[in-house]
Amino acid sequence: MDASQTLAPHAAAAGHAQSKYHTFVQLAMALAAITGVEIVLVYLPFARWLIISLLVILSAVKFVGVIAYFMHLRWDRAFCTILFLIGLFLALGTVGALLALFSSEASRPVVSETTVLSYSAIV
Amino acid sequence: MDTTAQASFRAKTEPAQKRAWFFTRPTAKTGLVSWLTTVDHKRIGLLYGFSALFFFLVGGVEALLIRIQLAVPNNTFLQHQTYNELFTMHATTMIFLAVMPLSAAFFNYIMPLQIGARDVAFPRLNGFAFWVFLAGAIILNVGWFIKSSAPDSGWFGYAPLTSNAYSNQFKGDISTDLWVMGLQILGVSSVIGSLNFIVTIINLRAPGMTMMRLPVFTWMTLFTAFLIILSFPAITIALVELMMDRNFGTAFFEASNGGLPILWQHLFWIFGHPEVYILILPAMGIISEILPTFARKPLFGYPLVVFSGASIGFLGFGVWSHHMFTTGMGNAATAAFSLMTMAIAVPTGVKIFNWIGTLWGGHLQMRTPMMFALGFLWMFMMGGFSGIMHAAAPADAQQQDSYFVVAHFHYVLIGGSVFALLAGIHYWFPLIFGRKVSEFWGKLSFWIVFVGFNTTFFPMHFLGLNGMPRRTAVYDGNMGWNTPNFISTIGAFILGLGIAIYFVVMIRTYFKGEKAGRDPWDARTLEWGLPNPPPEYNFAVTPTVHARDAFWHEKHPDHDSELGNAAHGHDDAHGIHMPSQSWFPLLTATGLLIGGLFMANHHYVGAIGGGLLMFLGAYLWALEGPGGYHIHPQGDTTKADPHTTAKH
Amino acid sequence: MSHAAALDPHHDATTSTGIPNKKLFMWAFLASDCMFFGALISTHLIYRLHPPPGSPSPRQIFSIELTSFSTFILLMSSLLMALAVGAIQKGQLRATRQYLLGTILFGLIFLGCQVYEFTHFVHEKGLTLSNSIFGSTFYTLTGTHGCHVAIGVLWLILMYVRSFKPAGADEGRPWLARAFFQVLAFAVTTVAGMALVLGFIHALQEHEPLANFVPHNLPAVGAALVGLIALFRLGHTKAVVEFGPANAIDVESMGLYWHFVDIVWIVIFTAVYLLEYL
Repeated sequence: MDASQTLAPHAAAAGHAQSKYHTFVQLAMALAAITGVEIVLVYLPFARWLIISLLVILSAVKFVGVIAYFMHLRWDRAFCTILFLIGLFLALGTVGALLALFSSEASRPVVSETTVLSYSAIV
Repeated sequence: MDTTAQASFRAKTEPAQKRAWFFTRPTAKTGLVSWLTTVDHKRIGLLYGFSALFFFLVGGVEALLIRIQLAVPNNTFLQHQTYNELFTMHATTMIFLAVMPLSAAFFNYIMPLQIGARDVAFPRLNGFAFWVFLAGAIILNVGWFIKSSAPDSGWFGYAPLTSNAYSNQFKGDISTDLWVMGLQILGVSSVIGSLNFIVTIINLRAPGMTMMRLPVFTWMTLFTAFLIILSFPAITIALVELMMDRNFGTAFFEASNGGLPILWQHLFWIFGHPEVYILILPAMGIISEILPTFARKPLFGYPLVVFSGASIGFLGFGVWSHHMFTTGMGNAATAAFSLMTMAIAVPTGVKIFNWIGTLWGGHLQMRTPMMFALGFLWMFMMGGFSGIMHAAAPADAQQQDSYFVVAHFHYVLIGGSVFALLAGIHYWFPLIFGRKVSEFWGKLSFWIVFVGFNTTFFPMHFLGLNGMPRRTAVYDGNMGWNTPNFISTIGAFILGLGIAIYFVVMIRTYFKGEKAGRDPWDARTLEWGLPNPPPEYNFAVTPTVHARDAFWHEKHPDHDSELGNAAHGHDDAHGIHMPSQSWFPLLTATGLLIGGLFMANHHYVGAIGGGLLMFLGAYLWALEGPGGYHIHPQGDTTKADPHTTAKH
Repeated sequence: MSHAAALDPHHDATTSTGIPNKKLFMWAFLASDCMFFGALISTHLIYRLHPPPGSPSPRQIFSIELTSFSTFILLMSSLLMALAVGAIQKGQLRATRQYLLGTILFGLIFLGCQVYEFTHFVHEKGLTLSNSIFGSTFYTLTGTHGCHVAIGVLWLILMYVRSFKPAGADEGRPWLARAFFQVLAFAVTTVAGMALVLGFIHALQEHEPLANFVPHNLPAVGAALVGLIALFRLGHTKAVVEFGPANAIDVESMGLYWHFVDIVWIVIFTAVYLLEYL
């Protein structure tokens, strides 16, 4: 460790740490508020596609808030972010592809009439 | 090694009396204990290598038994149940217990040397990954010795064949449970090992070793590690869901209760396709080291080779359903996957052109590793051609589930992966063991393997196109399949002979081979600058890298750049810091083995017991701390004098 | 090694990138865990596309109030975790321990809500692992997430206990015994406490006379009290410990894991619960 890493970054770190405390608390409040909005949103009489889009956006905002601030990516080397995003995008792509595959008409499960009757008997 | 480790290690002499006895670090350098507690990447590489070669022989015997059964029509050599177990275990063994660990052997031994590191980032975790691998190998094979017998549902275990209803031959048949548990545990080993390699390659490079100066083998190690950590979760979940179905009555693949068996296929192949790139990328890396060395030229188009490797890895996640063209996914899906599969041939082709470019105009030296490498180029290309034929979904409608597929993947897996791994063993043998393999016997083994391999698998293209299905224990004599099958079986035994010669040669050379001088191939990468075998601490002085093909530049420095690394390596006055050995990786893995065996037996109390042992091992491992000690290298004989390197 | 230099928690000069090894390892692991949960969430969503006839209706089963509460709890636990990391980076030992305990408590509340939710769904709503595909996917997905939370809580407890290692102890027997008892105290208090709380809530719902509650649950009450007292005594020590900014990387790595479990829950809450109300 060379001498240049002594006082200056330490003092900067201290100020940095103070503002981080407030950032964290404010973020937590925002996360709680957004969650509240999401819960209310599902009961509102809007179109399905609109509500789903809003939920996705709000969840994404919470998601980014947590990874950027609580998980410190905003202040870390970019490589950590890239590493995580590779996994995230691959996962999102795979989920999307699977849902597209199973939503297609060809993938609709076959249900026979007798099956329908026997299920209704259970219910 | 991070500052936390440096902060906490100190001379361990005085406080040693206060430590609890089970925290005394083992210090044996020879003997069984030294192997059981090793954290040295070179030893761990050897452990992976020997295990892999052992299971390669096991898988080979399984294959020969299959070929005997298929030599003639309506054969009664094997019971059909046994046949099912053999093709399941042949594939599972070759993929997970032979090729992958053999690649891991090279990742472990060679990669840290190529980047100028002392060891991997987490040495104890490295040892743990090996012992977990061994646990998985044991669980997979234990079936051979018990009434349940070995797993028999194919290496890809399609639902609903793997459900209790279809796969249990009798009450208490746990063969499928052993398969599930064994694969699950092997996945843990692979992921942990790969995480370690990623951190090592990114963070432990020698000064001046920028990413674009990395040897291609190290790049391929990195890409393979990424593929492993991102693809294994899919099969982990698939296996968890299958285990839940079998043990707890869930309905994931149970059609009668709302499940969709096709989901298994999707999840499996989301893993399974990247898996085949996991099998081939290391091989491509090895070839990318061997061709330049024996063509006496740098690799042609290094950035393109690296970028193609990354593309193959990434695109490999988007093609999985080409294994499912005949499952009725619908036109859009089928077309999309067909196009993606054709696209992925492009970066593969780019690599082949770059390898040809490397050979072009080179001064070719036809040593044994070069023979295997050239064999790779041709055979892998042929496997690629049949692969592209599969990519066209309409053509695949006829090829699917036929011997055409068997031909394709054996060309890429044997002609590709195995040839390259056999080449790598020959190539790095002088470095690892300090002895030269006889050229005559090496080349003989190559030719017999080459002839045997083609005799076995080339006829299978025709068998497939003529309609012979996979995974059938008998075929009738009037299908027109008799002669190719017979030829194929002859070929298999020739291949077996070639492999046997190869093994005997290696064993003989290990004990009695001619000693090799340093850098016998006049190679290009850093590992060749070390004594052979390398000392425990690898580099006495961490090299400073000035260019790609770092070792070549040390030997042939430009007039402008400074000479060698002696001027730049700074001597650590404390000596070289070495990681301490530990019992806890072995202990923790043993807990996993015990837990896994109980779990496969549906004995949940025992499984929890195994889990507790695992937890105890891990906790003590954490409390033990990184440890570490210093050694001082003997003399200064560790740097090869460039002027005395043997030239051919 | 110069000791005058403040340990910069975000820069490790011994690595090629400056990123500490453990941090890089954890981020790579989390990338892998994204695929893991992606596959599980996919399974659940796929089976919600075409529910078989006679499938249970999630709207009839879910209690959005309970799940909202537990979501809020987990989000707040993330805050406490981040504050714990900040505290240890500044060398504030007491604050670190308090924040760690807070995170543990909130994590346990979340787990308690999950246990309650599962038992409620099984007993009152008739949703089991095996009687419908919805049950299979729901319990497996949220149960796996719950296991991740439980592992995180265990890790937090072990980290908390680790913060009491006396300086110069060097893994001697007295320290190990102390650590063992502290972990045991946590285990006893957790199990007994959770049983009591859940039992109490059950009693409230069944309108049982509350005066009988303590006498009927004496062993659990006793165990919980003993555990709490042990934790209190073990947690108050003036001994100089070997736990400071040099260990911040371990707390930070654990924090990354904990936050990840939280963001997975953000996705699960939306995709599994909220979407059913549309």
